[in-house]
Amino acid sequence: MGILLTRDTIDNTAHDPARPQELITGGYDFTTLTDKVCGIVERRGAPRAWWVALGFMASLAAMMFGMIGYLIYKGIGIWGVNNPVGWGFAIVNFVFWVGIGHAGTLISAILYLLRQQWRTSINRFAEAMTIFAVVCAGIFPGIHVGRVWVVWWLFPLPNFQAMWPNFRSPLLWDVFAVGTYATVSLLFWYTGMVPDLATLRDRATTKVRRIAYGFFALGWRGSNRHWHRYEKAYLILAGLATPLVLSVHSVVSFDFATSQIPGWHTTIFPPYFVAGAIFSGFAMVMTCLIPAREWYGLKNIVTLYHLETMAKIILATGTMVGYAYATEFFIAWYGGNPAEQFAFVNRAFGPYAWAYWIMVSCNVVSPQLFWFKKIRTSPAALLVVCIFVNIGMWFERFVITVTSLSRDFLPAAWGYYRPTAIDILTFVGSFGLFFTLVLLFMRFLPMIAMAEVKTVMPQKHWEDKVSRPVGDYHGTNPGDR
Amino acid sequence: MSQHARRDVAVLDGDNLVLGGAARRIVAIGLAVGVVGLGSGFLLGRAAGDGMRHFLHAWLLNWLFFLSLSLGALWFVPLQHLTRSTWSAVVRRLAEIVSGTLPLMALLALPVLLNLGDIYVWADPTRVAGDPLLEHKAGWLNPGFFTLRIVFYFAVWILLATIFRRRSLRQDATGDPAITAGSERLGGPALILYGLTQTFAAFDLLMSLDAHWFSTMFGVYWFAGIVASFFAVMTLLTAGLQRSGRLVHAVTLEHYNDYGRAMFAFVFFWAYIAFSQYMLIWYANIPEETGWYLRRQQNGWSAVGYALILCHWLIPFAGLMSRFTKRRVRLMAFWAVWILVMHWVDLFWLIMPELSPGGIPLRLMDAALLVGMGGLYAATLALVAGPRLLVARRDPRLQASLNFENY
Repeated sequence: MGILLTRDTIDNTAHDPARPQELITGGYDFTTLTDKVCGIVERRGAPRAWWVALGFMASLAAMMFGMIGYLIYKGIGIWGVNNPVGWGFAIVNFVFWVGIGHAGTLISAILYLLRQQWRTSINRFAEAMTIFAVVCAGIFPGIHVGRVWVVWWLFPLPNFQAMWPNFRSPLLWDVFAVGTYATVSLLFWYTGMVPDLATLRDRATTKVRRIAYGFFALGWRGSNRHWHRYEKAYLILAGLATPLVLSVHSVVSFDFATSQIPGWHTTIFPPYFVAGAIFSGFAMVMTCLIPAREWYGLKNIVTLYHLETMAKIILATGTMVGYAYATEFFIAWYGGNPAEQFAFVNRAFGPYAWAYWIMVSCNVVSPQLFWFKKIRTSPAALLVVCIFVNIGMWFERFVITVTSLSRDFLPAAWGYYRPTAIDILTFVGSFGLFFTLVLLFMRFLPMIAMAEVKTVMPQKHWEDKVSRPVGDYHGTNPGDR
Repeated sequence: MSQHARRDVAVLDGDNLVLGGAARRIVAIGLAVGVVGLGSGFLLGRAAGDGMRHFLHAWLLNWLFFLSLSLGALWFVPLQHLTRSTWSAVVRRLAEIVSGTLPLMALLALPVLLNLGDIYVWADPTRVAGDPLLEHKAGWLNPGFFTLRIVFYFAVWILLATIFRRRSLRQDATGDPAITAGSERLGGPALILYGLTQTFAAFDLLMSLDAHWFSTMFGVYWFAGIVASFFAVMTLLTAGLQRSGRLVHAVTLEHYNDYGRAMFAFVFFWAYIAFSQYMLIWYANIPEETGWYLRRQQNGWSAVGYALILCHWLIPFAGLMSRFTKRRVRLMAFWAVWILVMHWVDLFWLIMPELSPGGIPLRLMDAALLVGMGGLYAATLALVAGPRLLVARRDPRLQASLNFENY
């Protein structure tokens, strides 16, 4: 890790309550910030490492599509699903990827409403990640029955057989919840990017770039009226997106919790899934951002303070997840239902105990390291713990799905689920798709929300003489007279 | 953007920042109201001729109502430190004062703890015997261990409240910014302790009224109500103090705006939790869980349920949505009272069907106890506030809090 990550030379995590936190270090002003962020996109020819990474990730993605092709050709017999475990990797991966997608909306909507200014350095990246994660998530319900040609049955279209999907099924609610979420996230991401796209258009040196960025910049000229409407739209989108942060994973949790399966049916599932989703989402943001800020030299924009703050959110949400585990265990005993009690004992000590303890040690134990500031401010340590959290959160979904199904009420119907190589390769391939999209995003779109970052730089306060930048305001500050 | 002059902490010099002589008046009136209210409630309870059962349930209801407010403050103060919150620096002292009522709440727990058998099924040995579920839970739900737990919860709560309030008051004297840094470090562990004790208090005090029933979400359900009503009480306290000529320059409309945002958010959060809990139990339709809701859907109780949907969610949700409302103190006070009333109704709906599944048992003693405890609560608030400052005058974030804006 030491080879990949150099130590941060500027540490802005010290906090003086009487002063606003220094969010952008390294003496950036508006011009140099624009140059830095746009420079990554405008550079002629991508770095070699980018090509290598893209090649690798795209081949993984290709492998996934190959696996899907094979699935369509052969049917789901090539997967490990069996009777009684009819839900295997497909649902586990779906829930995992949807969860990853939660950090983006939380950062762009809830942290915005809570006036958390540090979000500006990371929100663009996290929102992009959200969309790519939802893309990965969307694949699995589409292929999970192996008959992709009837995938439109997911939607409530009146079809020629006069059949409708079951409106009482949470699986249908998922279609709406995830669909709404993807739409609003995309809109949010795009709306926020319009001023930055206009910047890229204005700086463009080739005709292709000018037309491409110009098309998507929607004629943005940065007039007062544009800004006024932009801020209004942003606030409204934030308000609309906030309930979505809660609703998507709540609905996903309903897939399990509306059933009567021991270990699935418990009322804390909705908020518990939401906390877990934010937990895993932030871990994935860190997993992507720590290397990205290193390789692209963004350490003064995504600073140690940003990483430390995200680590605190991971600690908080990880603790909430631990709270939910504990509550479930307590009520399983308190409720006095033998099947429920068995489900929980079986999780911890049954045939899937190995998965359970991976989950607990990654999700509950490893984030506790974030109580220590030394760990919270060490990018290498953060990266390691965050990868553990990603692993732990995948296993959480595995534990919930598989342990409960493999041993439910009738011992005669018990079974053991073992994923096949194809299951595993499909899942690994979905990371290929995800990172392919991330790499393309980093190459062609501004990774940092420049316009928003500028609003949290000290230069914004031009009435404040101390921090006034050198520059031409085309006039005199009334205070100078 | 912010072209107006920055307000220095010196603006507070012209402000009345203490209760002063009013404190003694509030204590005197509050005590009088308390004695009359609780006394008449007691007499009405005796007159009811049901072996004080209604009285005890009404006591539990009103006690938990005021406990909710105190617990909300106990949640709020460490959270503000933990998140290094700026906006709340001006009003945090008020929350510290509200959390200072927890010793009164511990005292008011006595009638409940001394009469467990009349309130809780599991405390009645004749009903436990032969009931397999209650026998199964007897290790947890028995008067001795239950009392011990309640004592433990209150010990933790009073300790936490005292620590944070003392530190803040010490800063009034010394102005030491290290106190702020220390409170920030304490915030995390304090919230973990709060979360666990409040959850188990919800399981013990409310959920075990029907000792057969269980819901993992239940602690969060009470929490949602606690937070909404806490911000309501903060709104009323602030508005009252400003009306009486205190904190006039300290608290701005921006602070009310934030109270309103918090009430709005938690009204919605309450609905989210309430819906999720109901929907999951309705959907799975397992008799061991549905009984609790069935009792609340029969014999007139469903009216209370519908009233909650309408008045604990839809109406205040619509009412608090607009920025216009959140920046009008009178409107805010109206919605604050509304939310407090609905939290009371919510607790009524949680508690009373266990006493009287056959119909809604609204009696005069409910109101008498509410008024009585309200009097004692107000007296304690004034006592805790005492001659000390109503604003953390030397908090390092005060300047920023005086100047923050909602764009």
